[in-house]
Amino acid sequence: MKAVTAERLTKKYTPEKTALDGVSFSLNPGEIFGFLGPNGAGKTTTVKLLGGMLTPTGGTCRVLDLDPAKDPAAVHSISGFVTEHAQMYDNMTGMDNLLFYAAVFAMPEREGKRRAQELLEQLDLTNAADQKLSTYSTGMRQRLSLARAMLHSPKILFLDEPTSGLDPESARSVNELIRRLAKEAGTTVFLCTHQLRYAQEICTCYGLVDRGRLLTVGTLQELRSRTTSTIPVTIQADRVPADLGLQSKEGDVYTISVSEEKEIPEIVRAIVAAGGNVYHVSARELTLEEIYFHFLENASKQEVSQ
Amino acid sequence: MKRSMEKALIRKDIRAITANRRLLAALWIVPLVMTILLPTILICVIAFAPLESDELQSLATLLPANLSAAELRGTVADLIFNSMLPLFFLMIPIMAASVMAASSFVGEKEKRTLETLLLSPMSLRQIFYAKILAAFLLSMAVSLLSFAAMLFVAEAESFFLMEHFILPSVNWIVLLLLVSPAVSLLAITLIVQGSAKAQTVEEAQQRGAFLVLPVIILAAAQFSGLLLLSIWILLIFGILCAAVAVWMMRRSYRHFTYETLLK
Repeated sequence: MKAVTAERLTKKYTPEKTALDGVSFSLNPGEIFGFLGPNGAGKTTTVKLLGGMLTPTGGTCRVLDLDPAKDPAAVHSISGFVTEHAQMYDNMTGMDNLLFYAAVFAMPEREGKRRAQELLEQLDLTNAADQKLSTYSTGMRQRLSLARAMLHSPKILFLDEPTSGLDPESARSVNELIRRLAKEAGTTVFLCTHQLRYAQEICTCYGLVDRGRLLTVGTLQELRSRTTSTIPVTIQADRVPADLGLQSKEGDVYTISVSEEKEIPEIVRAIVAAGGNVYHVSARELTLEEIYFHFLENASKQEVSQ
Repeated sequence: MKRSMEKALIRKDIRAITANRRLLAALWIVPLVMTILLPTILICVIAFAPLESDELQSLATLLPANLSAAELRGTVADLIFNSMLPLFFLMIPIMAASVMAASSFVGEKEKRTLETLLLSPMSLRQIFYAKILAAFLLSMAVSLLSFAAMLFVAEAESFFLMEHFILPSVNWIVLLLLVSPAVSLLAITLIVQGSAKAQTVEEAQQRGAFLVLPVIILAAAQFSGLLLLSIWILLIFGILCAAVAVWMMRRSYRHFTYETLLK
């Protein structure tokens, strides 16, 4: 059974305003899916559709074989959500908030308390447990939201920008937590984010959206193979022959793009044969960020040519 | 198991009011005026007004003749307590229900906690009725407490000033058990209906204030001598309010969807 599927999922707020246009993908259980795209691309709309907060105007989506539009309560009981608009109560303490949501998720009282303490500990909030939420910083709120979403040990976590507003240390520890959760508990994670570097660290597959359309979906390797296949190589050497096509970057550092890795030794051999010294050679694969911009630029070029 | 979810929500909603000083003050100020200040003024007037005054004389014509002065004052006190105060008293459930419903429906939206609640395994129906029940229970508690306070104050004052114990009539039973719950429900439903449109708590509370209007008209009619509150008027008014409230509640639930709520 797939953890999440979307088939030609479409949402139009008004006939002219299309937020999501025929998006299809499917996720295996235990996957960490990075859903990436600029603001207004349709990421939040997708999460709302999967949570049953919106009804699709076309196509279908399923969460562990449940239809969020028909049976939202069942979907909610197996999933956890962290979204910008899902806040908690300012007039209650962090602990009281978690205990309230534990009760609303029909957890037995003792179990709820144990789980709340455990998560507060993991998210480094134990000291703030008895403070009112109104005294929390943005980062603390964000971490408490994560604790709330994980209270009932959901099979699927939907995280809409979970690390926004977090300092680098907290962001790292949250990412570590997400990764561990997927690995140890087999939790599927649907992660919408802007922070491409963090996404590349933890996601197992990616979907790129722009203006409501899914540009591409797959693992990092698959996405790479779909972009232009050149590999950027950096070489540090002296007495480099000019006819090799190396571009001087600064001092004795040069760069060149090759289409295959086996071209690299030939270049090195040519430098050495010309009497040069090679100090450093590194071939770098495209990062997620480069892939992301590649697809986004292609999409806008297509838009223009149309 | 399911019931425990609703109980948690009701407890949370009521605590949100009692923990908020501003809302709590709004909740107590009307009862204080209606149950302490107003009866005190009325009883003082009855106790100290000269018997020849027009007002007392016009009321006395409604009463059996040949009463002694003391008996007359006592009977007038009974009459006012049982026929006039009930209408003013109705402000209490209207106000309590409005404050509570506005904060529990619109307040959640305003503070962006509604979506979190909607993303829970509670069904929309459970959330809807648990919230109505919370507002209703609080309104009933405030009404009953206010009545107890008013009865105590009025009896004490009447006894010390006129050596007379006021006899509460069956009007009060109808009022407390039928009219006041029905009016509470009506106020809650009005607020809930408006909750889709209202963006702030204050905006929503103003809708509840509309309900006070017919009560004021009834009270004015009474003052001008057009109407003395009888048990029949109360019964009909109560049943009417309850019927309208239930009908409106069902109707507004139909417009209650995740999408309209989060707009």
